[in-house]
Amino acid sequence: MVASTKSKSSSIAALQILVGPRPASGIKTLPRYTQQVRWLHWVTAVTWVVLFITGLLLFVPQFSGGAGHGISSLFHHIAAIIVVAWAVGYFLRNPKTSIEGIKFALKWGTADFKWAMAAPAYYFFGKENKMPPQEHMNTGQKLWWLVVLGCGAVMIITGAFMWFFKNLVPSGVVMWCSTFHSIGMAVLFAFAFVHVYLSVFHPKMRGIFWAMVDGTVPADYAESHHKKWYDELTKHKESGKEK
Amino acid sequence: MTEKAILFDATKCMGCRGCQVACKEWNDLKGVKTANRGTIENPPDLSADTWLKMKFIETGDAQDMRWLFGRRSCMHCTESACVNVCPTKALYHHELGFVAYDQAKCSGCGYCVDACPFDIPRTSGSLVGIKHATKCILCHDRITSGNIPACVKSCPSGALKFGDRSEMLAEGKARINDIQSKYPYATLYGENELGGLHVMYVLQDSPSVYHLPENPKVPVSITVWKDIVHPIGWTLAGLAVLGLGFNYVIARRKIQVKKEGH
Repeated sequence: MVASTKSKSSSIAALQILVGPRPASGIKTLPRYTQQVRWLHWVTAVTWVVLFITGLLLFVPQFSGGAGHGISSLFHHIAAIIVVAWAVGYFLRNPKTSIEGIKFALKWGTADFKWAMAAPAYYFFGKENKMPPQEHMNTGQKLWWLVVLGCGAVMIITGAFMWFFKNLVPSGVVMWCSTFHSIGMAVLFAFAFVHVYLSVFHPKMRGIFWAMVDGTVPADYAESHHKKWYDELTKHKESGKEK
Repeated sequence: MTEKAILFDATKCMGCRGCQVACKEWNDLKGVKTANRGTIENPPDLSADTWLKMKFIETGDAQDMRWLFGRRSCMHCTESACVNVCPTKALYHHELGFVAYDQAKCSGCGYCVDACPFDIPRTSGSLVGIKHATKCILCHDRITSGNIPACVKSCPSGALKFGDRSEMLAEGKARINDIQSKYPYATLYGENELGGLHVMYVLQDSPSVYHLPENPKVPVSITVWKDIVHPIGWTLAGLAVLGLGFNYVIARRKIQVKKEGH
């Protein structure tokens, strides 16, 4: 028992070296991600890596040995089923939150433009003065969320044609589906790098990785990064959630 | 090395289907059970177990009824859509000109099936499980060891010939010359189509009568995929990684310095 606790804490210590320090227990935090959201996130993350690697084999002839005998395609299909089923499951259990989330991704205004103008100075030099106050998701996160939704839809629809409806539609349609499947992959590929980098390595955000583990963010982080959301949350609940 | 080719002379074919059987036998492909469809043409389509089948075409009217024999198998194009689209390079050009195939590299994606302008490759296997594509490989093993393809070997009427492509081409042209007075629409198919095919046909009528595309083309989507999406995808990924590395170098220094200054 003691040994397992010890090994668990040492693996957490090792993880902290990689992804940044976990916020100390006892500091003031705000609830940010429900357990279901965290599960959805990590299931998507793991299946995405599987889908990405098995798909990438088709782009790199040198790795084609890994695609031999259709093994990679089998894993690709299994991962696809898991992630789609999980997302649908989440949607059915939380229809209201899901629809609100999708609507949020489509809502763009002048504040987003201001954010985009101020973002380079912030992300390179840490200059915060021009950054407009942000909601639960800032403009960059919203863009990533939109990309995930948009490319996700493209991948699911084109993938379904390439897998299930192959024989029902003309072969030209299937060919264009694979082309768009590849475009979706390229876009997700680039954005996923940005996503992982910002949540793990960027000095301003380092340590925020743990929000997707614990479901909470430090209150001062929420205040500086998501002022609007912070105000909204603390207005109703003065004290915030103590961990 | 000199490129090789098959020449199929439809005017000499007698529809015995010996080539179909020889293909199955040499390549160890199992027989497919089929139902009578009221035609001698059998099996109904190419499949993972049928790489070559003869086509029987009835054309004309009661006064001028003609029964034509066509061949359906890989045409071994020079500008091959399948080689172009194959992501794992399982399909490739052999130095003898034909489109060879390395099954161990095949991921079973089936892109070649959709890409082929002649609708030749087929995939075997289940919806979920292990799959791979199949097609005629011009008896790779036989011709690289100095033999002729099994279908050509079996042909009793001399409708199938195999040899250097230039010789086959010359022979095909000469044959067209001979038969043109009898068959005004006689065509040599495969001289220039898709950069030159390695299976050429002497046809007694125009290609469309034999259900062959008059002007076969590599689908545009393949060009878009291979020549535009691939390089843009890699560039995008490279830029993302470079940009992030650049950001890391600058942000780490600038933002740390600011913290220390507090």
